[in-house]
Amino acid sequence: MSVVEAGQGAVYDRGYRPYDGPRGRRGAATLALYKASMRRALGIRRSWRQKVAPFVLLGIVTIPAIVNVGIGYVTRNRFLTERIEIITYHDYVGVSAALLLFVALVAPDVVCPDRRQHVLPLMFARPITGVDYVLAKLGAIATIVFAFSFLPQVVLYVGNMLVSDSALDYFTGHLDVVWKVPLAVALLSIYYAVVGVAISSLTERRIVAGASVIGLFLVTSIAAGIFVGDFHEKGGSAAALINVLAMPLYLRDLVFFGHIGPRSPLSGVNNGGLFAIIAYAAVLLTGIAVLLRRYRWVER
Amino acid sequence: MESGSLLRLDGLTKRYPGTIALDDLTIDVPRGRIGLVGANGAGKTTTFRLLLGLAHPTEGHIEVCGLDVERDPIGVRARLGYMPEHDCLPLDQTAADVVSTFGELSGLPARAARQRASDILDLVGLDEARFRSIGEFSTGMRQRTKLAQAIVSDPELVLLDEPTSGLDPAGRDDMLALVARLGTFGISVLMATHLLDDVQKVCDYVVMIDGGRLVVAGATESLLERTGTVTVDVGPSGPDLVAALGAMHLRAVAADGHVEVEVDGDEGLDLLRDLIARLELPLYRLSTRVTSLDEVFLNRSEDVS
Repeated sequence: MSVVEAGQGAVYDRGYRPYDGPRGRRGAATLALYKASMRRALGIRRSWRQKVAPFVLLGIVTIPAIVNVGIGYVTRNRFLTERIEIITYHDYVGVSAALLLFVALVAPDVVCPDRRQHVLPLMFARPITGVDYVLAKLGAIATIVFAFSFLPQVVLYVGNMLVSDSALDYFTGHLDVVWKVPLAVALLSIYYAVVGVAISSLTERRIVAGASVIGLFLVTSIAAGIFVGDFHEKGGSAAALINVLAMPLYLRDLVFFGHIGPRSPLSGVNNGGLFAIIAYAAVLLTGIAVLLRRYRWVER
Repeated sequence: MESGSLLRLDGLTKRYPGTIALDDLTIDVPRGRIGLVGANGAGKTTTFRLLLGLAHPTEGHIEVCGLDVERDPIGVRARLGYMPEHDCLPLDQTAADVVSTFGELSGLPARAARQRASDILDLVGLDEARFRSIGEFSTGMRQRTKLAQAIVSDPELVLLDEPTSGLDPAGRDDMLALVARLGTFGISVLMATHLLDDVQKVCDYVVMIDGGRLVVAGATESLLERTGTVTVDVGPSGPDLVAALGAMHLRAVAADGHVEVEVDGDEGLDLLRDLIARLELPLYRLSTRVTSLDEVFLNRSEDVS
């Protein structure tokens, strides 16, 4: 280190230190991009305004669990033939569909600025590929949606267990929930992440991407509602499959019941479950194809 | 610094529909500070894309730092830094965040990336501003941030695309001084520019391309040859000197208040000196003229075309 003295002060030239520590390759770079995208989505290292939306949404989706556990606690010493339950684990996955708003807000924010501000050439000058980029972005959104959907279910499960007459009996009596909830929530998270990120990749403007995500879900669910009509009376219809918003909820039914639930607009449709799986996979594959196409950075 | 070639291009050709971006480029470039010179559309950006493995050559073969780009583009990119010409920084993030994130993306562990981001921002003169949002930065500060993200991972080679673009004269000098220092850090530089002055100031090797074809490649010193022309300033007596030289069958012309004389080696110089003494002319300046890179580029481009 050299030092140049000038009167009382001194200017230090710390020079340049070469780096001879460990270096990761694709995996490390992809993980770094995944973590950076997570931080951005959650507003970490950003202004407080960016932190409000995700954590308010987490609070909102946790309210039903807290209310349910609270009722269980208040009524724990009363002799009831059946515990009062305002929401089931199955229905709670449906509440998590509200996280669609989160996806519409956050997916454009982690994808669009990279294209709009021409950051992509810098990214792809690093040891990553288009596939790595897509994996990192999808992984970040899916992880947060999963966490925000799963945490309230954990609150519900643990709360119910604690306010029940016997925690052990509750646990052994609800063992199926331990795998059904994470599986159903994972299906929902991956689906919303793919749809949200794929649509966001088509534009560089966040507002357009967010409006497009919400628009797609709204338009298809309204259209499905019109085509299916009142399914409680006359049964469901295959037209319910055009509802992009509800697709993961059909799969949730399959996870929880092994068939489409009686309250579903697909109920009563022959091979409805199979059609739901095919439609789900088709949407997922289309989204992934769009993403790989948009981030195919190497020229042929 | 490692020895061996920095870049080895062998018959490199890149064709797009209706145009040839690079045409049979064969060069072997040593480590150091290299200038890649050419007019707009000469093929500089295409060369960078090919070096980064972001485009496939139509024909030919590329080696960067001893690695075959076609076989191991990821390995090559892990050894490179890249500073694009255009704006490419996320404006709503701080310089420290951006540089450390790109350090991690280059494979550094998170802690090392943060530490190096801090050191490198200090090095490029952004120590005080590193926690400010890039959106608040001037053009010069953004260029420095772009350079910082390119060298944060301590690459073997850094590709700089028009690094002085958009800078005022002072900013340009600062940037060139930084680029010149990179060589002393053991980082080789490939600087694409159309400003030959910049190359002449900082590069010790030059590759000139025009219309996708190699014009000339060589050490800057060897290209800046003596021309055999001597510039003589004898004040208002210039026409007398020209006449006397003409009588001796030596070619001389008066231009811009001085005389340019074509001499042949040291004997010619002695002859000129003796003539000025014999004529008792005042001698203010006598120097051999050196070619500029502009002249080299223009002359050699004509030869190639």
